[in-house]
Amino acid sequence: MRWRAEKHTPYLLLSPAILTILFVVAVPLVFSLYTSLTPYRLTKPDSINQFIGLRNYERLLDDTKFWWAFGRTILFLTIALNLEFLLGLGIALLINRITWGQRTLRTIMMFPMMFSPILVGFQFKFIFNDNIGILNNALQSLGLTDGAIPWLVERDLAMFSIIFAEVWMSTSVFAILLLAGLFAMPKDPLEAAKVDGCTPWQVFRHITLPFIMPFAYIAMTIRSLDVARAYDIVDVMTGGGPAGRTELLWTLIARVGYDNAKMGQANAMAYVSTILSILFTWYFFTKLVAARRYMGGAA
Amino acid sequence: MRKSFAFLASAAILPLMLTGIANATDYGKFDGYTLRVKLIGGAQYEPLYAEIAKWETATGAKVEILSRKNHFELDREIKQDIAAGTLDWCVGSNHTSFAPQYGTIYRDLNGVIPAETLAGFDALAIKNSTVDGRLVQLPRHSDISNLFYKKSLFEDQANKDGFKSEFGYELAPPETWDQVKDQAMFFADAPNFYGTQYVGKDEAITGRFYEMLVANGGALFDEDWNPTFNSEAGVMTVQWFKDLYDAKAVPAGVLNYLWDDTGLGFASGTVALNLDWAGWASFFNDPANSKVAGDIGLVRAPKGAGGKRTGWSGSHSFSITETCDNVDAAASFVTFLTDHDQQMVEARKGLLPTRTQVWTDAKKEFADAGNDFLVTVFDTYKVSMSEDAFTPPLIEPWIEVSNEIWPRLQAAILGEMEIKAALDEAAEATRTIMEDAGYL
Amino acid sequence: MTSLHKRQVKAVLTWIATFILMIVMCVPGLWVVLSGFRPNREILAKPPVWIPEDLTLDNFAAIFGLSDAQVAIPVIDYFANSMIIAVTSTAIALLVGMSGGYAFARFRFGGKNALFLGLMLSRAVPGIALSLPVFIIWSHLGLIDAPMGLIIVYVALNVPFTIWLIDGFFRQIPKELSEAAQVDGCTRWQAFWKIEFPLARSGIASAGVFAFLTSWNEYALASQLTRSTDSKTLPVGLMDFTAQFTIDWAGMCAMAVIIIIPALILTFLVQKHLIAGLTFGGVKG
Repeated sequence: MRWRAEKHTPYLLLSPAILTILFVVAVPLVFSLYTSLTPYRLTKPDSINQFIGLRNYERLLDDTKFWWAFGRTILFLTIALNLEFLLGLGIALLINRITWGQRTLRTIMMFPMMFSPILVGFQFKFIFNDNIGILNNALQSLGLTDGAIPWLVERDLAMFSIIFAEVWMSTSVFAILLLAGLFAMPKDPLEAAKVDGCTPWQVFRHITLPFIMPFAYIAMTIRSLDVARAYDIVDVMTGGGPAGRTELLWTLIARVGYDNAKMGQANAMAYVSTILSILFTWYFFTKLVAARRYMGGAA
Repeated sequence: MRKSFAFLASAAILPLMLTGIANATDYGKFDGYTLRVKLIGGAQYEPLYAEIAKWETATGAKVEILSRKNHFELDREIKQDIAAGTLDWCVGSNHTSFAPQYGTIYRDLNGVIPAETLAGFDALAIKNSTVDGRLVQLPRHSDISNLFYKKSLFEDQANKDGFKSEFGYELAPPETWDQVKDQAMFFADAPNFYGTQYVGKDEAITGRFYEMLVANGGALFDEDWNPTFNSEAGVMTVQWFKDLYDAKAVPAGVLNYLWDDTGLGFASGTVALNLDWAGWASFFNDPANSKVAGDIGLVRAPKGAGGKRTGWSGSHSFSITETCDNVDAAASFVTFLTDHDQQMVEARKGLLPTRTQVWTDAKKEFADAGNDFLVTVFDTYKVSMSEDAFTPPLIEPWIEVSNEIWPRLQAAILGEMEIKAALDEAAEATRTIMEDAGYL
Repeated sequence: MTSLHKRQVKAVLTWIATFILMIVMCVPGLWVVLSGFRPNREILAKPPVWIPEDLTLDNFAAIFGLSDAQVAIPVIDYFANSMIIAVTSTAIALLVGMSGGYAFARFRFGGKNALFLGLMLSRAVPGIALSLPVFIIWSHLGLIDAPMGLIIVYVALNVPFTIWLIDGFFRQIPKELSEAAQVDGCTRWQAFWKIEFPLARSGIASAGVFAFLTSWNEYALASQLTRSTDSKTLPVGLMDFTAQFTIDWAGMCAMAVIIIIPALILTFLVQKHLIAGLTFGGVKG
């Protein structure tokens, strides 16, 4: 009873969080919404006062470059997140079997998380360099190829390379969260299943996997929350090129907004991209809430 | 001890212009004043900044370096400053290709810097620093590209014979870009060795395309700013890039290359011919960094089909903001940084001076020290700076236009689009930009 | 051999196999670390030099300005800035997160679900969309090139996830515990501090690690909001190794080592709490 009487307390407790978010996210978003309705150019501050309605958005509708980047971003996210999930699951299952010295292995497993995205970008730019890159040199030394593979140029290879870099950086996040899921798993159903003569695959498929799916959704949610970090990687590795083959929404927006100084147009693009990330996050979040219910927790 | 030769000379010739001399030799007194500046950072630019302490001692002022970033980062920062109205600093590094974007945030230096000081600069450098009749920057050092090559390849008898029988003329350092193409294809042996290379993205490839277009007799724009680069000369130019790419005479990754990749590539000894900036010369000839040290030849940039040489050029420079609260101190500072002695500091690192006198003095110093390579470098670059140099169009939307052009160049080189179609599309997009910017 | 022995041997073999696999996974990163101790000439050589012939600390000496060859990078300033910014923002994010998480876990109030979702979604806004508006607002408030400017941004970045983990964790702790303490005469604050907080420690620790890593490694916003040694952080400092024409790859790798080590140490120290924190915080709540 006393808990419910204190009506203002939760709001008071939440106010620092809400104020910070309002200040750092909401207010700037309103500002950029406004500028997306103007022909705002960074180098012409006065242009912010000119209202042009939805013209920037109308231009987007028949901007094929933008929609290609949009589609490519979705492709990039889908492949990267699924790969990260599968690899992370594999690693988690493996580490889960270790009983001794696990803390060291877990720290090694998290090693890629120590790398700043900008550093990951430089790292893979050099690794994938066609002439002096370590990868081509290794392949040539091993006699696997006698050509110089243009990792960052060839159509599919370029996409592959940036996805590889992103997956390398973020698989650990999945692994650590899925490992937490495996740790939380009650042992009884597993034992019971074994006694009943289930194969390891059946155990995994029908007991382990459903149990850790919520953890997978958490990982998906967390990752889709800050997946735009991939901007740093792609910008350094390919800058969206060549010929736009690796152009993602974020590289496009940065170029239009800063290099071309067309901030109004860029913010219209950014708004569409914000909606995209919110949808991704929303999708995983509802899955997560459903999974939590299924687990019996109060969401 | 190394008292400014130039000023002694000008003092003798121009005894009446005492104010100018006074400004140049003693830089005024600004005790207690703090000058806020934003400078371009990076290894080759830093030695000059070590000299700043001298100016501080001479004038009693302090210099506060607010930021020191590479040019693209600095460009972004300055645009943010314009947007946010935070131009609360006085001196900024600038570049001839970037300057037109910034509108009128920078002051016209005519009248701020005395005419007799300006007279010491290369006339072409001053002209290229002028936007819409306003001298918005004082050139610090200039740059232009010439053709470096691996000398031993051209002296090898087997190469000479082989080349002659295949192409029907003598193997010699190339005079035209067609010869470069022949030789590059002749020397190439991918993936171990490449004939030549080019930068393949961003403004870098736009610039290379542009200078080649001009050399081939074409132009980016006509007199009324209509885009004209989708001409026959334009197609021919892109064809040159594409032929080399298709023949694997250039590294397969060139379309992702920028200046560091091409420079390091030539230094690694795996490239025969390399069109590059003067700033690399010392690096290429330094055994600690480069495998081709001691084996480098250098010729003036070759000619295109139009009989003109390529000569895309630009200058790093310093500008003073309109909002500056102490223009005299700022003017004194930029004068100091571009003075004879300071340009000598940069020239010794292989950067190309913008003062005529420094060319002479630096070359003499190299010759006295027995550094024949740098003498050759200075001789070659001196000619190309005074005869071949031209800037990209000094228009506000240059970078934006470039961002329309280079992805299409890449698409054409990769064979994703027909060359003509790619250039047409780029020209159409460029037209829109020029219309929006009020040029058309 | 007894079956016990067999099992031990098997365990050791599994460990070694897993260890090798993890190392292989880390190879691209380890190559960066190794390059930090090699000269450019050797890293960029073609044909490649596989076995390092010339391991050296020169790159570190150059960064710290102990050699004439190169201009020093103000790495100590960057390191101090990074530390101050990451630690402070993590601490604040944890406080804000605890207070918010506690509210979500212990109270019922109008708009609770919408508020929760709203906080989460705020994190989904790409940094690139925020960078300019934040810059303009910050410049009016004098927060550009000031550690405080970045700290505020990082708190906002980290609060959603922190609230989420900590909320889940507090839920695990039966309400009755703190109610009993209050019956015994503790104030609510004392009950929280003495009973609930210690129980939630591993949740807080794991939220802290994630927040620290995010702040420590963030580049995109930091590169916009910092300018000089007053506030530049280590990842932004990496760009000091790039110029218009060149990249000093060896120097950059050496700097990378300096960035990675503190993060690695922290992760190792908190490792024990990390898994437990994620287990209970994330889902069971």
